Amino acid sequence: MGSVRAELLKLKRSSSWAVVVALPLAAVASGAGNTVLAGEPLTDGWHTLWMRVVVVYGLFPLATGVAVLGSLVWRADHRGGNRNALMGRPVSALEAVVGKLAAVAVLAAAMQAVLTAGVVAAGKAVFGLPGPLPGQYLLISVLIVVVCLPVAALQSGLSMLMESFAAPVAVGLAGSVGGLLLVLLRFDAVSLAVPYGLTARATQVGTGAFMDAGTVTVGTLASMAVWALVSTVLVTVATAALLDRRDAG
Amino acid sequence: MSALITTHGLTKRYGGRTVVDGLDLRVPEGCVYGFLGPNGAGKTTTMKMLLSLVRPTSGEVRIAGRRMDRSTRRGLLSEIGSLIESPPGYGHLTGAENMRLVQRLLRLDDGQVARAVRTARLQDHIDRPVRTYSLGMKQRLGIAMALAGEPRLLVLDEPANGLDPAGIDEMRRLIRRLTGDGTTVMVSSHLLDEVDRTADVLGILGGGRMLFQGTREELFARSVPDVLVDTFEPERAAALAGAWGAVLDAGTVRVPGLGERETARLVARLVQEGVDLHGVRRETRSLEDVFMDLTREEAL
Ligand SMILES: Nc1ncnc2c1ncn2[C@@H]1O[C@H](COP(=O)(O)OP(=O)(O)OP(=O)(O)O)[C@@H](O)[C@H]1O
Ligand SMILES: [Mg+2]
Repeated sequence: MGSVRAELLKLKRSSSWAVVVALPLAAVASGAGNTVLAGEPLTDGWHTLWMRVVVVYGLFPLATGVAVLGSLVWRADHRGGNRNALMGRPVSALEAVVGKLAAVAVLAAAMQAVLTAGVVAAGKAVFGLPGPLPGQYLLISVLIVVVCLPVAALQSGLSMLMESFAAPVAVGLAGSVGGLLLVLLRFDAVSLAVPYGLTARATQVGTGAFMDAGTVTVGTLASMAVWALVSTVLVTVATAALLDRRDAG
Repeated sequence: MSALITTHGLTKRYGGRTVVDGLDLRVPEGCVYGFLGPNGAGKTTTMKMLLSLVRPTSGEVRIAGRRMDRSTRRGLLSEIGSLIESPPGYGHLTGAENMRLVQRLLRLDDGQVARAVRTARLQDHIDRPVRTYSLGMKQRLGIAMALAGEPRLLVLDEPANGLDPAGIDEMRRLIRRLTGDGTTVMVSSHLLDEVDRTADVLGILGGGRMLFQGTREELFARSVPDVLVDTFEPERAAALAGAWGAVLDAGTVRVPGLGERETARLVARLVQEGVDLHGVRRETRSLEDVFMDLTREEAL
């Protein structure tokens, strides 16, 4: 699709890449740093490290980071000329919305790749953990990218409608706090249903943290992924319908 | 000439304010249509409605006879290139990369992109980041982006904005070249001078209403220049001509809005009263004056 290819081209030299690199590396640094400073050993090796880095990252920074990315990909398109050009071309509202979603999805996937690579690097270089990162965490990394999609769709839609950088980030921040509370207060079903809660739940799979069963089953992974995809489609279609009804500028 | 754009009763209201009011626009195919009006007249809003960027409160837009609305916009926009408000462009990308965006969106070949860049005279700056462009270069990039799809209709909103005299002149020649290839160009401005020499048809907007639509000759003909009466007794003559709305102006008598018959009557009356006349003439006026009068009346 032309819109997707065009949006990917806009990512070239984009300032979004700073977020993609800095946020997960900060999570790795603080998780590893706490471990070193507190002097608490990684009793269960890779699993403990994953818990201290990725679960903490998923509780809050992840959804907020996706919100920031959603605002960044829209920023230049809120300016009068670009906004008018975007909708003044023979491109349907759905194509325009899917193009933006694809851009955020690529950034979110890259952010997860940095996070996973960061965990591996810290595990090897700082803690000298034996063997490779357990394979289940690669699968869970893919799941985390998939559950970022509904947040990306929602945040991209909010950015489009609010035509502002800060306002959708504020909403994303509030959503992240809400998702965190749902997990802390152990609202099981609701935390899985809400995009900002689902990102936290996905990062906990296999760790036994909070409401997690501690085991990785195909059923858990598949149901989370399917709901993530379904909610992404729902949000995307709704956003496109709104864009189609709205006046540009 | 058949009309490429027609509107019927095109109206836009924001809150309680009517900013475009019952516009019946007619843009003939293959012409340059100069869309004029002072700031806030509603030019941009009208152009946005032509492109379905903004939905009319009432009335309709037809492009090549087909109704333009949200359900048909996609098909119709494939034949329209546009530049609305400020020029588009992504500062972190080069000119060439910005063109590639359009190429991907519209599925154009390399030749079409290269031609658009050359037509807009941007080839020397194409590999620089757009954030380093001057306003004129940005404007030209916007034009190149609008041109790339080889549209049948170009809608340009104040393309000369921020250009120096040489740039304005170049823009004029560019627009002329385009119509040579059969493209219809609708170009807006708040300065008559900018479009006067390029436009075949003028549409003058004031307070959201169409004040005039036609050729520049028709515009000239529509406005009646003031009659100036030169006499040795200006005070007495002005008093006598008071019924015709005469005013004293630097020793001559000025009578605005007087037709030929009324002028004859006025002269006969003055002669009858024994006023010594030594000249009756029409004040020559520029098209600019005519335009200013037209839009000033609306502002009152
Ligand atoms: N989204 C909007 N909401 C409310 N009012 C608006 C909106 N867009 C335009 N207007 C109003 O509509 C009127 C016409 O604006 P428009 O931009 O169409 O004028 P213009 O002729 O293009 O002026 P300029 O020469 O300054 O560009 C203005 O009074 C403006 O304030
Ligand atoms: Mg305007």
